[in-house]
Amino acid sequence: MSGVSPQPDGQTSPAHQATPDQAALEKILRESREIRGVSLWQDAWRRLRRNRSAMCSLIFLIVLMLAAIFTPLLPLQSPIDKDLNNRRFLAPNLQPVVLGGRAGLKFEDGRLTSQLAKYTSDAAEQRAEILAIADAGERDKQLAEFDARTRIEHPFQQLWNNLGPVAFTMCRIRVAIFGDWTIPSLFGTDKLGRDLLARVFWGSRVSLVVGIVATIVSLVIGVSYGAIAGYFGGLTDAIMMRIVDMLYSIPFIFVVIFLVTFLSEDSVKAILENYGIHQITIFYIIIGAIYWLTMARVVRGQVLSLRTEQFIEAARTIGASPMRIVFRHIVPNTLGVVIVYLTLTIPSVMLFEAFLSFLGLGVAPPDVSLGLLLNDGVEALSIIKLFWWVVVFPGAALAMTLFALNFLGDGLRDALDPKMKNRS
Amino acid sequence: MTDLFSYLIRRLGWMLLTVWAVYTFSFILMRSVPGNPFSSERNVPPAIERQLRARFNLDAPPLQQYTDYLVGIVTRGDLGVSIKLEDYTVNEVLAEGFPVSASLAILALVFAITLGVTAGVVSAVYRGTAGDLALMGTAVLGIAIPNFVLASLAILLFVFWIPLFPAAGWGTLRQVILPALCLGAPVAAYIARLTRAGMLEVLGREHVRTAFAKGLPKRTVILKHVLPGALLPVVSYLGPATASVLTGSLVLEKIFALPGIGSHFIYAATQRDYTLAMGMVLTYTVLLFVMNSLVDISYAVIDPRVKLQ
Amino acid sequence: MPPELRRIFVISALLVMGIAVLWATQFDSMPPADFSIQNGTDPKTLDPHRATGQPESRILFGIFSGLLQMLPDGEPDPVTGLQPMSPQPAVAESWEVSDDKKTYTFHLRPDAVWSDGVPITSADFMWSWTRMLHPATACEYNFQLFSVPYAQEFNSGLVEIGDRCEVELFDRPNPDGTTEADTGQASFQAFPRGTMLYGTLKEIRKPPEPTFDDEAGKQLDEKEREQAILNWQETWVYVLDILNQAEPGQIDWDGPTTTQSFTVNLDSPQAAPETQRMHAVLVAFDQLGGIEAPDPHTFVVQLKDPLPYFPSLTAYYPLFPVPRHCIEEHGMPMWTKAENIVSNGAYQVKLRRLRDRVRLEKNPNWFDADQTSIETIDCLSTEGQNTALNMYVTGQIDWVTDPPVALMETLKERDDFYSAPMLSVYFYRLNTTRKPLDDPRVRRALALAIDRQQIVDQVTKAGQVPAFTLVPPGIAGYESPSGFQPDIAKAKQLLVEAGYPGGRGLPKVSVLYNTSEAHRAIAEVIQQQLQNNLNVKVELQNMEWGTFLDKISQLDYDIARSAWIGDYADPNTFLDMWVTDGAQNSTGWSNPDYDRLLQEAAAESDPGKRMQLLADAEAIWIEEMPVIPLYFYVSVNMVKPRIEGFFPSPQDLHPLHLLRIKSPASPTP
Repeated sequence: MSGVSPQPDGQTSPAHQATPDQAALEKILRESREIRGVSLWQDAWRRLRRNRSAMCSLIFLIVLMLAAIFTPLLPLQSPIDKDLNNRRFLAPNLQPVVLGGRAGLKFEDGRLTSQLAKYTSDAAEQRAEILAIADAGERDKQLAEFDARTRIEHPFQQLWNNLGPVAFTMCRIRVAIFGDWTIPSLFGTDKLGRDLLARVFWGSRVSLVVGIVATIVSLVIGVSYGAIAGYFGGLTDAIMMRIVDMLYSIPFIFVVIFLVTFLSEDSVKAILENYGIHQITIFYIIIGAIYWLTMARVVRGQVLSLRTEQFIEAARTIGASPMRIVFRHIVPNTLGVVIVYLTLTIPSVMLFEAFLSFLGLGVAPPDVSLGLLLNDGVEALSIIKLFWWVVVFPGAALAMTLFALNFLGDGLRDALDPKMKNRS
Repeated sequence: MTDLFSYLIRRLGWMLLTVWAVYTFSFILMRSVPGNPFSSERNVPPAIERQLRARFNLDAPPLQQYTDYLVGIVTRGDLGVSIKLEDYTVNEVLAEGFPVSASLAILALVFAITLGVTAGVVSAVYRGTAGDLALMGTAVLGIAIPNFVLASLAILLFVFWIPLFPAAGWGTLRQVILPALCLGAPVAAYIARLTRAGMLEVLGREHVRTAFAKGLPKRTVILKHVLPGALLPVVSYLGPATASVLTGSLVLEKIFALPGIGSHFIYAATQRDYTLAMGMVLTYTVLLFVMNSLVDISYAVIDPRVKLQ
Repeated sequence: MPPELRRIFVISALLVMGIAVLWATQFDSMPPADFSIQNGTDPKTLDPHRATGQPESRILFGIFSGLLQMLPDGEPDPVTGLQPMSPQPAVAESWEVSDDKKTYTFHLRPDAVWSDGVPITSADFMWSWTRMLHPATACEYNFQLFSVPYAQEFNSGLVEIGDRCEVELFDRPNPDGTTEADTGQASFQAFPRGTMLYGTLKEIRKPPEPTFDDEAGKQLDEKEREQAILNWQETWVYVLDILNQAEPGQIDWDGPTTTQSFTVNLDSPQAAPETQRMHAVLVAFDQLGGIEAPDPHTFVVQLKDPLPYFPSLTAYYPLFPVPRHCIEEHGMPMWTKAENIVSNGAYQVKLRRLRDRVRLEKNPNWFDADQTSIETIDCLSTEGQNTALNMYVTGQIDWVTDPPVALMETLKERDDFYSAPMLSVYFYRLNTTRKPLDDPRVRRALALAIDRQQIVDQVTKAGQVPAFTLVPPGIAGYESPSGFQPDIAKAKQLLVEAGYPGGRGLPKVSVLYNTSEAHRAIAEVIQQQLQNNLNVKVELQNMEWGTFLDKISQLDYDIARSAWIGDYADPNTFLDMWVTDGAQNSTGWSNPDYDRLLQEAAAESDPGKRMQLLADAEAIWIEEMPVIPLYFYVSVNMVKPRIEGFFPSPQDLHPLHLLRIKSPASPTP
């Protein structure tokens, strides 16, 4: 085994020697205590910080995450508003665009802020009228009706789709800060005249959530399953791996169609919503539950060779429980491969999501994901006329995300490798 | 040797069990998903629909359908008549499409292994250099760009701008190269990354350091002592890789208009062609099972510490 | 494992890999055809009685000929370039219509033969039409012959006491020479049929009808009840006076008889020991004078109603003759294999490879073979729009039938692009049994608020025409009622009247469409228009085809995308689907006046009055709006300039034998 051994060196401490040795021993013990104080993870973090490309990727990913979370705050154009008459397939440009300026929207002055002001004052007026009603029952009824109406008629509904309460508030803040100003169509527009920059941002938001949630699910299932199978071997391994083989051989398109149709049954939906679970959450978990198979196989393959290593034998001899050996000694040693594989799973999940959206089982328009954008983009890729921007920008967004994930994965691999501890 | 033999026998038993389980599972699943193969825009009167069902033995009680079809498969290897492709039996569909998919998959895999392993070894040996960065960058691109985007770009590039290959179709070597490259690209990228990770892992082991210390030439150490161990994750990945190449060919079959079985797979599912879908599922099951068994055997061969069980 | 074994393993693995690569690079290549068509997808079948859809029809029109064929007639329209077509002689060299327009007499060419040289006679048509109508064939277009007496009864299996019937015994031959009677297993080779007996139906003995009032019955869903009824019907015992002697074609219905009984299910409580097992008792359609073959070259058809469009129907593939001798020899579906099929069109099938192509070659035995110019044609099953276009650009395809929508504006400017109005309509079906769409005012409001011009100009872009009526323009003698005009103010007004001012309180409505980029784009635009114009929020729901159809037929949707391509050039093909409980209605809509007008129109022999009745019906439909019409399709084709004789036609029909190659084909890579 590598790593600094806490035991003092046998040659330096014969028992009969006097105080100077005692002092030396003390010193060594103190040092060793200090070293033990640095945990595997702190140590890994220390080494990760030294890896420039991994750190750049980490920063990029954090920025990306923040951007995805706070997309509604950014001064982007509307991701769903289609200006068919004037803005179809515009190449990237710097033409200023006013939020809510499309004629078809019929906004006051052709700006969102004016419309919003008008709407707010109208609403306040009507609300005051309702509040003036003497009869309390009637008043509450009208008030409830009024609130329902506000939700439907709010100008934001024309520009954003199904905003949750948090996103709605963020849009409010965005309008308060930036007003009608938007970033021009730096990425061009698509075949229906929607701003591609906004769509790439909103699409990344969905794709990232899918990728991360599903991958975490697959990680948890896959690693435990693979490690247990590999460690115990024999019949357990055979049965567990045969189950994986079976699952591999099932065409998941069936499973997904089945589950999605089952989940969209009204009764099932109602039960789930009782527990506060949105249908789409289950959907992410399904994808994750599909993707654990390869992870399990890879981990098991690694464990098969690890279980004959001496340190496992050692752990077994001192009577560590199998579960402890698996999760304490084996799993950390497989992390290198797991992390490499993790950086490969997130993209597959993102691509699988695209494939499903394409089949009509993923996000429904007007919501958008990177996969959907790429599908649209490829459609417009032809030798007759080349709308390069509809495929290049979503493609670059996806590629950059995955690049970053990858370099971070590499960095983590080096940093987490127990054999590299305290080296370099 | 007897090891291997008894392993194969046991494996065969497992395979039959797997096929049976997959058959049962798919059978139940297919019949519980809404929709039926006779849905069409013009509604069929019930009496006529019954005639149609009778033709495909779909009017029998589910349990009898289950056993009849299973008996047909086991005794005659007969997967039935395709419900949607009326003029064909499922066996004929497979016989026509499988060689195409198989030769595409073989070329793609060979390409992926050759390129992936080479790139992985080179970039591990020259770790940290610009070459390593470039190779791994390309590998990530291969993973990061969806198949269909890659294929579309490749067509623009190698069909129109540099006219090397025909746009689509099947029947000549030139027509198969481009789809095989596109199909193999993501797999090559995966393999390159797995190889590199495995190489770095093994390079840090004691026996490799000992080998270097003994003064063995670098090439010998890498090929004899490092590569076999480093290839373990790669070999382990080959099973899934086959699966992904076979199913993943769906998109490429469409873009390059290839007559493989990949596209039947999705159609059978969405059109509720029960028999064809079942035929596809079982074919994939057997295929993947065989591939995974081969992977396990290779495992034992490459790594002496692993025993076949 | 010993090291030497390991070495052997590695070497053999490499060897296997090498052999695999060698095998994978072996191809049996085929010279390209003279002319290649993008056929969209694989034809589902080459049996004219089982086919539906365009990929099938393109091939069937090439390899079979009916009594008549649609051919160019008159000058093309100067504006659209649309070439009018009319039914003209094919296998029938001439035909006559009686004065009451109810009897058609076709005179067949004496020299018409199948591609294997066997002569085509009127008996072939008798047999083919009977097969087409037979319930076991389940032809989706069988309604096209329902105006022939007894056709509908024959097809639906309806018999009444006193009807002259045929009984098909349970002894259909199996391919291996045995019969059903030997094996007890039903053979589903619908034709050739089992022993036929003829006679008059005397009595039907029915066991008690199942009821669903008890506990068990109430738990059954509709499907299960339907099955229970069907099971019950199978236990009916039919008693007939069977003619002792009956030669098909010359049956003396008053001849001596013996009474016999038959049933489908011998376990029936009503079955007597002498009761015989049978397939079905059906009205003896082909023996009752609806269709007759007085001599081998004369074929007479009687109609119940004077249908002006009947000649066009005979030029449509469901009424094409099929080769009895070939079907009886090979059985179904084997007869449609490339090596078995016998046809009678300008082309014959040389080769068929799934997901790849159907190779056609010139049929030298066709009656007009001198007219055919191109020797071989490939119908390629290319689905991808961009793929087909790429192949077109590189010269692998000569005729693109489905160009990419994204490029439509650019392609439209090209000389090799053909587009012309077509008899078909794209519409949104509304579920009139659910709130809020059960209210005609809401339906109209939605219809009024959609800007169709924007959809055809900016989304579909190939010159489609906004639809405000159901029946496309361009049907001779028919003028649709004026329809409506988009009017947002009026739409808002209607919503107020319906009790949803400003879209408030309107229950959630979703638009269902089957997976396709084009449908999605249209749905997204309509979603935005309704949101902007009416403050009505609709959800989009995307389903794959199987589930999509299921949801529609079970009325489990709010709004569903749909389209209808006219089967023949008459308003009736668009109107009769909306009658109460019509098989294609699927909206729950029903209007007695509408049903009555359509019935009257069918019985009307004066063309002018008939068209007026149909127009009145359409006016009711527009008022009630069970469906929102969006636009009328155009046919869109791209054909290489080296091809001559291609012209846009109203039903997108392009007879293959009229195409010519201008200059010698340059060899394609």
